Amino acid sequence: MDWFKKKKRWDLETDVLALGTGAAGMTAALAAHAAGASVMLLEKSRLVGGTTAVSGGVVWVPNNHHLAEVGIEDSRAEALAYVKRLTDGRTDDALVERFVDAAPAMVEWVEAQTPLRFKALARYPDYHPEFPGGKPGGRSLDPGLFDANDLGPWKKSLRRSPVFGMTAMTVAEATDWGVFSKPLKLPFKLLGERYGKGLVCYGGALAGQLLKALLDRKIEPRLEHAARELVVEEGRVTGVRVEHQGLEVFVRARRGVILASGGFEWNRALAAQFLGGVLTHPNSPPGNEGDGLKMAMAVGADLANMSEAWWCPSLVIPGEEYDGKPLNRGDFATRSLPHTIIVNKKGRRFVNEAQNYNDLMKAFFAFEPNAYERPNLPAWLIFDHAYLEKYALMTVMPGQPAPEWLTRADTLDELARILGIDARGLGQTVDRFNGFAVEGVDPDFARGESLYDRFYGDPDHQPNANLGTITKKPFYALEVHPGAIGTKGGARVNVDAQVLRVDGAPIPGLYAAGNVMAGVTGAGYPGAGSTIAAAMTFGYLAGRHAAATSGT
Amino acid sequence: MPEVEYTTQVALPREAVWEFVKDMNNWAPYLTGYQTHEVLSETDSIWTLKGDVGVLARIVKLKAHVTEWNGPERVSFTLTGLNEQVDGDGTLEMGAAVEAPEGGSAPSKAPVVKRSFLGRILDAVFRFFFRRMHGPAPVRALPGAGPSSQLKFRLRMDAGGPTGPLVNAMLAPALLPAAEDLANKIAAHLESEKK
Repeated sequence: MDWFKKKKRWDLETDVLALGTGAAGMTAALAAHAAGASVMLLEKSRLVGGTTAVSGGVVWVPNNHHLAEVGIEDSRAEALAYVKRLTDGRTDDALVERFVDAAPAMVEWVEAQTPLRFKALARYPDYHPEFPGGKPGGRSLDPGLFDANDLGPWKKSLRRSPVFGMTAMTVAEATDWGVFSKPLKLPFKLLGERYGKGLVCYGGALAGQLLKALLDRKIEPRLEHAARELVVEEGRVTGVRVEHQGLEVFVRARRGVILASGGFEWNRALAAQFLGGVLTHPNSPPGNEGDGLKMAMAVGADLANMSEAWWCPSLVIPGEEYDGKPLNRGDFATRSLPHTIIVNKKGRRFVNEAQNYNDLMKAFFAFEPNAYERPNLPAWLIFDHAYLEKYALMTVMPGQPAPEWLTRADTLDELARILGIDARGLGQTVDRFNGFAVEGVDPDFARGESLYDRFYGDPDHQPNANLGTITKKPFYALEVHPGAIGTKGGARVNVDAQVLRVDGAPIPGLYAAGNVMAGVTGAGYPGAGSTIAAAMTFGYLAGRHAAATSGT
Repeated sequence: MPEVEYTTQVALPREAVWEFVKDMNNWAPYLTGYQTHEVLSETDSIWTLKGDVGVLARIVKLKAHVTEWNGPERVSFTLTGLNEQVDGDGTLEMGAAVEAPEGGSAPSKAPVVKRSFLGRILDAVFRFFFRRMHGPAPVRALPGAGPSSQLKFRLRMDAGGPTGPLVNAMLAPALLPAAEDLANKIAAHLESEKK
């Protein structure tokens, strides 16, 4: 930090400085401000909302006060049992307990402080609803729709999802309308009108309403401010060196710096260095390059959960771009609908294709020691024309011509030859699967047995909502790439979101929340909105704790 | 179905404008998001554009078919999506020569399609993103005294299929900046050549 010793001055000062404008950073800023601190919020990109804004925007909050409105009963004990099972031993129990206890309070607080009014989703199952403590109806809260015009001139600075950003529907509407299994029944005229009016949904609605609350408090995020280095004075983090339009800006944070700058999924070096799986196609905004992680490491932060990500299979339409990078679309439903399977180069299935996206991906990373390879990479989605007649494939609606970016053939043998995979294996696999589809039972991988699987299936398809024969030519293939909606390893924190050193002591003045923090759910993904719920909860805790410190 | 019209003044007689416009190869690269074009015949060509759909960019292939080649006044064409369910049509019209006022005048625009207050706000927001993605508008010199003509570009696009109403809502704010861009880039090119 020779640069700081030479300069010996701050360009800007505040009590609490939050880095990043996803749900973690914005909640942290709101919490700190509500607790009486002056607040500054920096954002590296030119848009507000971070990974949150491109997400589904729901918040998975165990034991929250809205669940009773839809008849779901929950308890602290059930939530703890469920989350602890999923962490796979990667998270301190105290941190899980803090999350389960603080998340409901966080939601009540957010509703009191912002325009957000969540609604419980009556039938969005937890991702392992049959596990002890799992809920068939789920624990996810929907942020509803938001009129982005309420942001005034900031409307243009709200990040939009490339996938959800154009179809303004609530999650409840999407479920009721059959967004996965009956896409032709969606009210496109209404959706067009909503788009024209400026309504946003999902993550855009959540981020938009958090931004609105900040603006109401006269807190305007500073865009295109990239934090690069923490300033440490006498063992305490006292500020940040920031790059803005080619200039260095030194920001003093008297009471604390809150890292909320997202994961490292777009940093190939860090991803290769730490992740347990192979991540080639992240689904998040490309600015998530591990900036906060690197800053935390530089001041001696302990790290945890570094091999994990919020894994998600990615599909690609050639030529699509978002923020100047190829768009990797997370696949949440295609693989769960009838008439599809996923196979490896031997033409073999290797997983329940309808499993939740996080846990599904772990089967892609299986390692075969004799061959010293990952036999399930690459992998392909295989489906037939019956699928295209009934269901949507990303931008292709049922009944539309098959797009040129699909590999197609009139026989499975020919399809296998084009893909370079084992034709005999593929033929045997499809024959066997077709038998399962007729019977409605998948003895190999139990596809369709979990309520979660069926949520993403076609309820009108009998005898199994997730199984359909692959018999109608032409046959199609599309590569399934390893993706993630974010990483979830990072700085280890205590129950107040203070970043810890390797010896377990907090680093004074430094906090973390969101995907830059070692994820509280460890290896698991309890339900829709788990990442945002943890981000907001630890952002809330960080903001309150930082505001309450005596500072420098 | 979104339709826009944009008119600008060119500091050249319309015959000179026509000489440039009559060859599609001259101005195809000025289409917003232009990637490549392939001439199939005197009247048919395939344009590959990187189009903005909402907040993402996507490759769109359009077959253009010239339906009227009426120099030096007008060229009309139809557009048919090859990889997207979209079609449309347009005209480039070279208006009669007019005398520019002494000292010249700024390029004018005269969108015919009226937009609501909300629509104009949406246009402004879209224009912001459009400029960030495609760079600043072409710089035009003020035309000097002398003959000039009007270049009018009309464009209509219509997304079909069940998602048509939604896609049209997304296309609507994209069309006017695209029409402006094409007309102004043609005009800027011709005016720079004149110097």
